[in-house]
Parts: sequence; C-alpha cells; structure tokens
Amino acid sequence: MKEISLYEDLSTPVHQLGPLSKLFYIITILVLPVIWGSKWVTFIGILLSIVILISGKVLRKSLPIMSCSLLIILTVVVIQGLFRADNKTPVWQVGILIFYKEGLMVALGIGLNIIHLLLAFSVLILTTKPSDLVEVLVQKGLSPKIGYVLGSVFQIIPQMSATMETIIDAQRSRGMETEGNILTRIKAFIPLIGPVVMNSLIATRERAIALEVRGFNCSNKKSFLKSYEPTKGDHLVYIILTSILILSVIGRILLWLEL
Amino acid sequence: MNKTSIWSLKLNTAALVLIPAAVGINYIGKLFAGLLKLPLWLDAIGTVLAALLGGPIVGALCGAINNIIYGLTMDPVSFVYALSSIGIGLVVGVLARLNQAKNFKGIAIISLAVVLVSVVISTPINMIFWEGTTGNIWGDAVYAWCLAQGMPTLLASALDELVVDIPDKFATVFIGYAIFKGLPQKLVLMYNNDLEIEHLD
Repeated sequence: MKEISLYEDLSTPVHQLGPLSKLFYIITILVLPVIWGSKWVTFIGILLSIVILISGKVLRKSLPIMSCSLLIILTVVVIQGLFRADNKTPVWQVGILIFYKEGLMVALGIGLNIIHLLLAFSVLILTTKPSDLVEVLVQKGLSPKIGYVLGSVFQIIPQMSATMETIIDAQRSRGMETEGNILTRIKAFIPLIGPVVMNSLIATRERAIALEVRGFNCSNKKSFLKSYEPTKGDHLVYIILTSILILSVIGRILLWLEL
Repeated sequence: MNKTSIWSLKLNTAALVLIPAAVGINYIGKLFAGLLKLPLWLDAIGTVLAALLGGPIVGALCGAINNIIYGLTMDPVSFVYALSSIGIGLVVGVLARLNQAKNFKGIAIISLAVVLVSVVISTPINMIFWEGTTGNIWGDAVYAWCLAQGMPTLLASALDELVVDIPDKFATVFIGYAIFKGLPQKLVLMYNNDLEIEHLD
C-alpha cells in the first residue's frame, strides 16, 4: 500500500533524535529570522537545514516537498518582477518583458522565507515516523482522542487510495471515459468519488462500534507500547537551541539599546 | 420541542471516527481532481461532509486536522491555511444547523458563504506568504492583469482568490451535498443531535 508520508526508515544520528528535539529545532530556526529581521539569518538557516538533511541522508527526498512550492515561487518571481507597483529600476530585458529590481528583491525575500520554512519542516517530516510523533505528543499531554484521530488518518488514507484504484478499474471496465474534454472529465468525477466515499463513511460506523466495544471512551490513564526517554543527543540539542535563542534575544536587545 | 443549539457538540466516538474519514475524502477528492486534470482543487469535500453530518465544531476540527496532516506529510505551507479550512467547516456547519441544507437555493447560499469566508481568510495569508498570488494559473493571470492596471495589491489578491474560489467552492459544496443526500439513514442518524434517546430502566 502506498504511504502518504515521505518518511524514510534509516538509522542516522538525525533519525535517532526524538521528535520533540526536531519540533524545537523548527521553532527556533523559524523564530531567529523574526528576531533579527535579516535575510542573511534566513540564508544561514537554509544552509543549516541542508547540512542536517545531508547528514540524515534525506536531502534528495526533500525535493518532492519543495517541487510544488518552487512552481509558485517561480510565478511570484515573474509577476512581482514584471508588474509590482513600485518597480523603477530595470535590470533585465527579455523581448518586450522588462524585469525590475524592486519586484525581484521582494520575490527573493518570499522565496528565501518559503524555502527556509520547507527545509526546516523537512528535517522533521523526513526523519520522523508520523505515528511516533503523534505518540510522543500524546505522552506529553495531547488528548488521546485527538491522538487517535491523527494516527488513524495515516492508516485510512492508504486504504482509501487502494479502494480508489479498484474503483477506477471497475468504472473503466464498464466503459466510463476518464479522458477527453473537460465536460467528460467533470462527469467522471462523481461516479469515481461516490463509491470510495460511501465505502469509507459506512466503514466509520463499524469502526465506531469496534472502538466502543474495546473501551475507547474509558477514562482510565492510557498506557503506551513504547516509552520515549530523551537521549543524551536530545539533551544536547535542547541546551544548544535554548542558548542560541537566549543569546539572540539578548544580542538583539543590546543592538536595539545602542540605536 | 425545544431545539438544540447550533453549536451543540457530541464529540462521541462516532464524531471522532468521522474526522479521519473526512480527511481521507479531502485527500481522495484532490487526487481525483488531479487525475482527471480538472482545473479545481476539490480538496474540502470531506470537510463539507463532516460539517453537514456533525455540525460546526466537528467541521472545524476536521478542517484543522486536515491541514495539520498535510503539513506533517507533504506540504508544510498548508499549516497556515488551516485557518481557512476551519472557517469553511464552521460556516457549513452553522448554516446546515440553521436548516439551510435542504434545497438547491440553500446549498447555493452555503456555497456563496464558503466562497466569502475562504476569500476573507485566505487573502491576508496569501499577502503575507506570497505577496498575494495563489499559485493557480487562472487566478494569478487575473492578479497580474490587475497589477498592470495599477490596482492596489490587496484588491488584486482578493480578486485572484475569488476567481479560483467561486468554481472550486461551488463544486465542492454541491458534490459534498450530493454525497450527503445519498448516505444511508442509519449513518446520518448516528450524528443527529435532535433525537432524544429513551432509556427503558
């Protein structure tokens, strides 16, 4: 079955860090450019995330995460470069199209921020099993019911994708057209999605009964199959990130007082 | 008979198992739309269904969890759009509880409300993250045209979002409603809050 997650099961030092350390990393690295308000900090953050992804052997896997946003960044570059209201200084001419400096700088800022965000999250997404992340969050106090909901999405989506393949084959074998002009394709949508949705909604009824029978609503304290203790590496990460945060805030305040 | 409040919430097991299924439906909708190369997203059908069945809170919860799951697995940018998903769930749920979801006109009103909410919430997010573009070719063409005409960026961005949302959200709500109508009664009754349960003892 096709998994929706892009997680890859390896055993590099990055994979062995706890999910909470990686969450803390994301928060720190995203807050730093806000504290300093400089594109250079964002740039350093991008480099740092790339180094971590390389040491986790998953840099190549971050491409699918980047690909859909890269297309949007490209349209931003074109539109801002050509049409931004305060465009004054032309820098580049292709035929009749003139790209302006101001618009391109804005597009550069947007591009850096988005790539920074995507790479920071890639560190978590590509090296942490989604169900592990949910379980740690439940142990740290997330409601077990929400935990169940999150965890079960990761199981349901592959099941539904499998059903979907079956339905497509079944409808095609009955002669339904899934290619052609736009009207044909719109007409094909309902007979395709209908059976998958009905199937999964009717299954929810059975799932609800199964859960109730097993005492899902029981208010006892839940126990866990695995327990997650922070390793030495985790403690090291906490200390480094906390000191970077504190030092940046102090540095920023000092800089601000001098001005 | 006193009517139950529109906000009434039964976060029972039935509502909890509905959410993963709805998130799955959102995912499948998006997948089919891509497969059939439709120029729409159709990625909120499940949220609409959850709101029709379970009310505003379940709808909102479903929207939020949908975007959190997307963010954690495929596209981190979708975290911030959780706000629009929550808005869609709330609006559909509230209007359905106000008994709008019964005829063609009511569904058109719900679709219109969803379009409005989604434009009002998504435009500021687009402004902050993308300086106003949506990433949809048609919408962005409108955006570029508006900027070239000298309109303010905010207006251009709202129009950009509107052009994309009108066909998309109308299709989403109507498909959601068509599926809702086709559901077996024993399933719909599981989520019906108006019913009193009689106990024999």
